Amino acid sequence: MKKIFAIAKWEYLEKIKTRAFILSLIISPLLIISFSLLPSFFVSRGETSTRAVGILDETGLFFENLKKDLSSIKLENGQPAYVVVNLYNGEDFSSSKTSADDQIIKEKIDGYLLISGNSMESAKAEYRSKNIPPFGELKNFESKINSIRVNRKLVEEGINPEIMNYISREITINNILVEEKGKERKSDFGVMFFSSFIFIILLMMMVIYSGQMLVRSLVEEKSNRIIEVLISSSRPEELLAGKIIGLSALGLTQILIWLLIGVGLAGSALVTPDAFKNVLPVLVYFILGFVLFTAIFVGIGSIITTEQEAQQITGYLSLIIMFPVVIAIPAMQNPDTTFMQVLSYFPLTTPTLMILKYNITAVPLWEFGITVLILILSIFITIKVTSKIFRIGILSYGKRPTSKELMSWLKEK
Amino acid sequence: MLSVKNLVKEFNGLTAVNNISFQVDEGKIFGLLGPNGAGKTTTIRTILNIIKPTQGEILFDNKKISNDFFNIIGYLPEERGLYKKSKVIDVIRYFGELKNMSADSVQKEAKQWLEKLEMTDYVNKKVEELSKGNQQKIQFITSVIHNPKLLILDEPFSGLDPINQQMIKEKILDFVTSGKIIILCTHQMETAEKLCSEIFLMNSGKEVLSGSISKIKKQFGGNNVKLEYDGDASFISNLPFVIHADIYNNYAEVQLKDSFKPSEFLKAVVEKVSVSQFSVIEPTLNKIFIDSISKSAGN
Repeated sequence: MKKIFAIAKWEYLEKIKTRAFILSLIISPLLIISFSLLPSFFVSRGETSTRAVGILDETGLFFENLKKDLSSIKLENGQPAYVVVNLYNGEDFSSSKTSADDQIIKEKIDGYLLISGNSMESAKAEYRSKNIPPFGELKNFESKINSIRVNRKLVEEGINPEIMNYISREITINNILVEEKGKERKSDFGVMFFSSFIFIILLMMMVIYSGQMLVRSLVEEKSNRIIEVLISSSRPEELLAGKIIGLSALGLTQILIWLLIGVGLAGSALVTPDAFKNVLPVLVYFILGFVLFTAIFVGIGSIITTEQEAQQITGYLSLIIMFPVVIAIPAMQNPDTTFMQVLSYFPLTTPTLMILKYNITAVPLWEFGITVLILILSIFITIKVTSKIFRIGILSYGKRPTSKELMSWLKEK
Repeated sequence: MLSVKNLVKEFNGLTAVNNISFQVDEGKIFGLLGPNGAGKTTTIRTILNIIKPTQGEILFDNKKISNDFFNIIGYLPEERGLYKKSKVIDVIRYFGELKNMSADSVQKEAKQWLEKLEMTDYVNKKVEELSKGNQQKIQFITSVIHNPKLLILDEPFSGLDPINQQMIKEKILDFVTSGKIIILCTHQMETAEKLCSEIFLMNSGKEVLSGSISKIKKQFGGNNVKLEYDGDASFISNLPFVIHADIYNNYAEVQLKDSFKPSEFLKAVVEKVSVSQFSVIEPTLNKIFIDSISKSAGN
C-alpha cells in the first residue's frame, strides 16, 4: 500500500507541475466555453445602432402604416431601431427604384422594402440590400406587412380589428418532465444538450489527454530502462494501481477546478444551474469511466515501445472514445431505442450514455445500480488483464508483441 | 550469500541462459563478465525477480528470491536514464520511497550521498540540466540510497571521466567492506581486474570460466614478459623462442615458449635495443577474456 501511494504521489505531483497540464487546465474549458457559447452569442446579439431603411411602395397602401410600425421598434438601449425613409420621388416608380438602388450602393441606406403591384391582392414585396440582413429581420418585416394587409381587409369587411390581436396570440406547449411524486422540471433541449455535452466532452478530453500523457511516460520509462528499477522495487500490480490512482487524482483535480469555474459561470448566469442538477450521479459515471479508460490505456501503453507508435495507437483509441459523442444527439432525441439501451450497458459507452440519460429522462435507481456495477466489474477485469500484459509487456523492447504472444502472456502465472 | 543454481531461462524456444551456477559471499565484489548478448542481463533480471527462471533457482541467504527481497536489492541498469524533467532531489526521494524508506531517512541519506559525490550544488536542478556524468552519479545514488544488502551494477563506469570513475570506484569499495554483496557487470576488464575478487565469464548463455582472479591467472599461466626500450624492436616477433609479441613504439608484451627463461630473452634483446625496464608478467584479464571467448566460440 505504501508503495502504491508513493507511485501515485509521484505520478500526480510530477504531472501536475508540467507546463502541458497547466495549459490544458486553462485552455480546455476556454475552448469548450467558446465552442458552446460563442455561436449562440453571435446569433442572439441584437443590433446596437439605428439603421436607415427605405420603403418604396408602388401600391401606396402600405407606406403610412409600415412607417409607423417600423419606427416604433426600439433597440435594447431605447433608441429607435430604424429611421424609415420614403423613397418615392413623386414622379414615377421605375426612376424611384433606380435612385433607391443607387442609395444602397452609396451606403446611404442599409436597404429598402420594395412593394410592387397595384392592389392589396396583387402586392408583392422584396427587400433589396447590399448585405444579407440580420437573422430574423425579414421575418419581422413579413409579419408587419401581413398584419397591415389583414387589418385593412378586416376594416374593409367591417370587422373589429381587435379580432386580429386574438388571432395572433398563440399557445406554446411547455414540456414538463415528471420524475418523482411532486418533483417536476421544465425540459429545455438547449440546457439538456449543454449540461450533458459539457460533461461528456470533458470526459473525452480528459481521457484522451491523460491517456496520452500516461502512454508517453510509460514509453519514456521503458526507453531509458527506469521501468526495470521500478519493477525490481515494486510488484507490477502496485505499479499499475499507483499509476491509475495518480492519474485519476490528476483528472479529479482537473474536474474540481473546472467545476469551480462552472459554478462561477452559473453564478454569472452564463450556464444555468440546471446543468449541475444531476451532478452526483454524473460524477460517479465520470470517474468510473475515467478509471476504466485509464486502465485500458495502461495496458496498451505497456506493449508500445516508441513515441510514434504511442501516437498512432492513442489516436485510434481516441476515436473509439469519441464514438459515444457521435451518437449523443440521436441518443438524446430517442433515448429508449433498443440500440441505445444496449449501448448503455456496454462498458465502453456506459459512462457517456448514462450521463446523457440523466439529463433526458428520469433514471430509476436499479438502472443506476446495474450500470455502476457493470463499470466496476469491467474496471476490475481490465486491471486484472492489464496487469498481466503490463508485467511482461513493460520488459519487451523493440518489436511490438504479436497477438499470439499476448495470449501466452495472459496465460502465464 | 547469494547462490545461483542451475539457472536456465528460455524465451520462445531460445535459450538465453543455459544452466549456469555461481555463488557470491558477503563482502565481495563479483564480476559477471561476457560479451554483448552473453546472457548477463537475463541473469541479472532473474536475480532481481523481474523474470522467472525456466529452471533452477536463486537463493539469497538460503531463501528463494521473491518480491520480499525488493527492498534490500539495489540495481543500476546499464542504460542510463532518470526522469529528465524532474528535480534531482525529487527523483532521489521517489526511488528511496519505492524501497520503503521513510521521508526522513531518504532526506538524511540523500544529503550524505550528495556530499560524498560532490553533488550538493545540483540538489534543486532538473535532471536534464546536469551533465551526463553527473546524471550517472545521481543514478548511482538512487541505487544505493536504501543501503541494499545486494547491489547489482551494470556498467557503472561507462561514460564517466577518470576522476568520477575513481570516485565511484572508491564508493563501491567502501560499500562492500560493510558486508554487502556486489555484482558488477562490465566490459572494462581492467576495472574488473582491480575491483573483483571473483569473476564469472559467460558467453552464449554458458559458463566459460569462473573463480577467483588469482586462480584463473595462475591457471592461464603462460610465460610472459614486458619491456620498455629505445630503438627498433620489430625483430622480437621473429625470434625462435617467441610465441607471440605485441610491439608498440617503446613498449612490448611478449609471450615466450614455456621452457624458455625470461633472463635468456633479456640477454638476446639488450644487444639490439636499450632496455629501460623489464619484468615478468601475468596475463591480463583482458587477454584471458579475449582468448577464452574466442576459444569458446571456436568450439
